[in-house]
Amino acid sequence: MNWEQYIFEGKPFEGIYIFDVHGHVGAHKPFQLGGYDADSVAKTCRRMNVDGVVVSSLPALASDWKWGNEEVAASVDAYPGLIWGYASPNPFYEDCDITPYLDLPGFVGVKIHGDMQGSTPVNDPRYFPTYEVANERGLPVLFHAWLSAEVRAAADVARRYPNTKIILGHSGMTARDTALEVARTCDNIFIDTAISSTYDNAIEVLVDKVGADRVVYGSDICFFDCIHTMGKIALARISDTDKEKIFGLNARGLFSL
Amino acid sequence: MRFIDARCQLGRRCVIRENEPVTKAEILELMDRCRIERAVAYHAIAKEGDVKAGNMELLKDTEGDSRFLRQWVALPHTFGEFMSVEELLKGMKENSVSSIRMFPKTHGYSLKPYALGKFMDAMAEHKIPVFMTYNELASEDALYAMLTDYPKVNFIISDVSYREERKLFPILEHCPNFHIGTGNYVVHGGVKTMCEYFGAERMIFDTGLPTGSAAAAVSLICFAEISEEEKTLIASGNLERMLSEVEL
Repeated sequence: MNWEQYIFEGKPFEGIYIFDVHGHVGAHKPFQLGGYDADSVAKTCRRMNVDGVVVSSLPALASDWKWGNEEVAASVDAYPGLIWGYASPNPFYEDCDITPYLDLPGFVGVKIHGDMQGSTPVNDPRYFPTYEVANERGLPVLFHAWLSAEVRAAADVARRYPNTKIILGHSGMTARDTALEVARTCDNIFIDTAISSTYDNAIEVLVDKVGADRVVYGSDICFFDCIHTMGKIALARISDTDKEKIFGLNARGLFSL
Repeated sequence: MRFIDARCQLGRRCVIRENEPVTKAEILELMDRCRIERAVAYHAIAKEGDVKAGNMELLKDTEGDSRFLRQWVALPHTFGEFMSVEELLKGMKENSVSSIRMFPKTHGYSLKPYALGKFMDAMAEHKIPVFMTYNELASEDALYAMLTDYPKVNFIISDVSYREERKLFPILEHCPNFHIGTGNYVVHGGVKTMCEYFGAERMIFDTGLPTGSAAAAVSLICFAEISEEEKTLIASGNLERMLSEVEL
């Protein structure tokens, strides 16, 4: 595939399955986002030939968990087959049960952002009921994983619940080496590409260290755009086969699509 | 579409990440891969070590190389540490240096007129654009103060992240001398939004090579939902026009 031609002609990739494992809907209090409703996310995905995106609600992570999960449900309902849902728990509410959302069609995993929820470590026992459901169903759990401590807490969850599929958002970002280390020791850990600012040749490092089978395309849309991450993968010095795995084939297996 | 990168650093820097480009050859390979014709370049030593020596190293590293447009790093002329404004302008002319980059936070100086007034007057008179990254400024208010203190100087502020629109849009509205480097401006639909509100003339393509991603930077422009004319302005037109107006 002539990736360069598509990019420099500004045309979306064709003939390739693209599935984004790291998306959001909803507003975010600290700063203005680009279009953040389901319509905006779906429009960009369609424009860029993205076959599917799994979204969590930013308000579900940082505000009212129930209101936010309803926002995800409405988004999934509005764009079936394109927008898929992550359900997000809140550790501060004993009555928080996200199972009813996971029972809905189109909900395919769990998203947890401990940093937004009072800097709660993701291996805090208050999250365990959610992991037990995910483990029983073999669901992916996407973690915000930025710092070394966050990566190690996520790895602890991966070891406790081996039937879950743990996705380390942002490749561990400032703790990439830690993320790569735990991915090498836990077969159920995957690494996503959602990084706003990184250097060329960074995708190559991920593939070299853990193999293309363990790297999945995540954009963090609508937190930021998806197009720069697409370019980083498409122009990386890795094989076409590896690019296709990262863009969607790995996610197809992860989410049993 | 021709891309000219407004932010590239040459030279050996202190900290590098695994597989990150370091040498000029590695940077050129990335420029070729991402179809970047030329790049405005300053030297790592001028930022991290010795400003004057770094500027001289830049001349050596770019000797006879048309892929790089020379940029010097400047300090305020205080008490003999850096060349006078007159010496700076003379040196720029003799060595085909067409723009200035400043690191007020890293290099520890004030941007206020008591410290930089004479220097900025010269930048305005000779139409020399001044480049900075956003993290070199203390705040959005410091940016606004600089833009309004020196309204005749064209500033290109780069490495603006996806978190800054609430702060920077009002400044863009009030300060026509404020231009944004696009390299790390990854807001969802952000390039399109910026064009709609402020016009493509306010954006200048840059990469931040070798620590930024050229692949990401070109994709942000190529895939943006804007016209070909707007893309051309951002990719090279605005910068070329600005540099063509420099009078030395």
